[in-house]
Amino acid sequence: MIEFDDAEERDGAAGEYVLGTLGAEDRAAFEAALGRDADLRARVGAWQDRLLPLTGRTSPAEPSPALWRRIEVSVGAVSPAPRRRPAPFPWWNRLRLWQGLGVAGLAASLLMGTLLLRQTVPEPAGARYLAVLQSPNQRATGWVVELQAGRSLRLVPVGDVGSVPAGRAWQFWTKPEGAAGPTSLGLVRAGQTLEVPVQRLPAVGARQLFEITLEPEAGSPTGRPTGPILYVGSTVAL
Amino acid sequence: MPSHDAPFDYESAVMACARGERYALQSLYERESRWLLGVALRIVRDRQQAEDVVHDGFVQAWQYAGTFDPALGSARGWLYTIVRHRALKAVRHPGRVVSLAPDELARWSDAVQGDAEVEDRGLDAGSLERCLDRLEAPRRACVLHAFVDGFTHEQIAERLATPLGTVKSWIRRSLAALKECLA
Repeated sequence: MIEFDDAEERDGAAGEYVLGTLGAEDRAAFEAALGRDADLRARVGAWQDRLLPLTGRTSPAEPSPALWRRIEVSVGAVSPAPRRRPAPFPWWNRLRLWQGLGVAGLAASLLMGTLLLRQTVPEPAGARYLAVLQSPNQRATGWVVELQAGRSLRLVPVGDVGSVPAGRAWQFWTKPEGAAGPTSLGLVRAGQTLEVPVQRLPAVGARQLFEITLEPEAGSPTGRPTGPILYVGSTVAL
Repeated sequence: MPSHDAPFDYESAVMACARGERYALQSLYERESRWLLGVALRIVRDRQQAEDVVHDGFVQAWQYAGTFDPALGSARGWLYTIVRHRALKAVRHPGRVVSLAPDELARWSDAVQGDAEVEDRGLDAGSLERCLDRLEAPRRACVLHAFVDGFTHEQIAERLATPLGTVKSWIRRSLAALKECLA
């Protein structure tokens, strides 16, 4: 029985909770108390950090390559077997061919396509948007954002974007027209397509800004971009 | 290889997990999985079960990242507690029989920190080691068997051939002494 009223006993129990030596009954009582007792949580946090260096007494062991894959599947980030689903943007393959046209040609083609579509088709419920993300000097095109209301967003690498500098990360942001600030959509890897459910976007619309900034390895610590903009662009409706 | 020029920001990574950013979880995994697996393996002593423990730990960390409070302690301390407690739960499952022979047990327990000694993980082990050195050897052994091997009071008492009550009070007093020494 843990005497939760006794300060010394509370701290001893917190230490043993972290250490792992509380008996089953005491552990259950302690865990139940943790949920409603901020002081106890603080004591556990302190003990975790005091004892953490003891993890250095164990030799490391190399996980099997399958382990991360299993974790990814379990957290629902990827489907168990990679399978192709019908592309929501059937014109995508044509866009790939356009890469050779250069930025101006690409923009002009998109604009033409947009104008033609707008003349003939009223904007449907699942409106589709496209943003071409270029370097701030507009010399290089790095990524294309495909976006459809009610569906998902895809950030697709199209140019040679190089590699992420060691110890840093590329972070992807969006800012809908009129929004106060950007919202993080996560970190991106060189050469990889990122998919984001649209539910995570603050809004979906035309003239919505997307950008990729250079941030510390674990992402911006502030929840706002802190590093330079690498690629930026805004959506046009298709 | 991750660069060690700038310290990795574990707290930001866990908070990014809370926002559903899976690359943050992956960066934590890339940093810590081999150390976490080592910790789990030492406790459960079975490779497949140790991987299961690390898997469950990462899934739990992902699910509960929103409960992590950086004001209370480091994200790394939080993550190791999750995985260690998973490992302890696995070995203390009523159905599990620990079948290691005494000499095997001794070999495990006395295994020194191999590569762990030489690789700098940015942990300040010096202060804790100094404080551990101040404890009498059997008391220090109690703390290490509990933390590193995941032993229960009963297992430690058996291993040290010391009455259970003595082991319990040694652990409590050793923790108090460590806290005071580290303050």
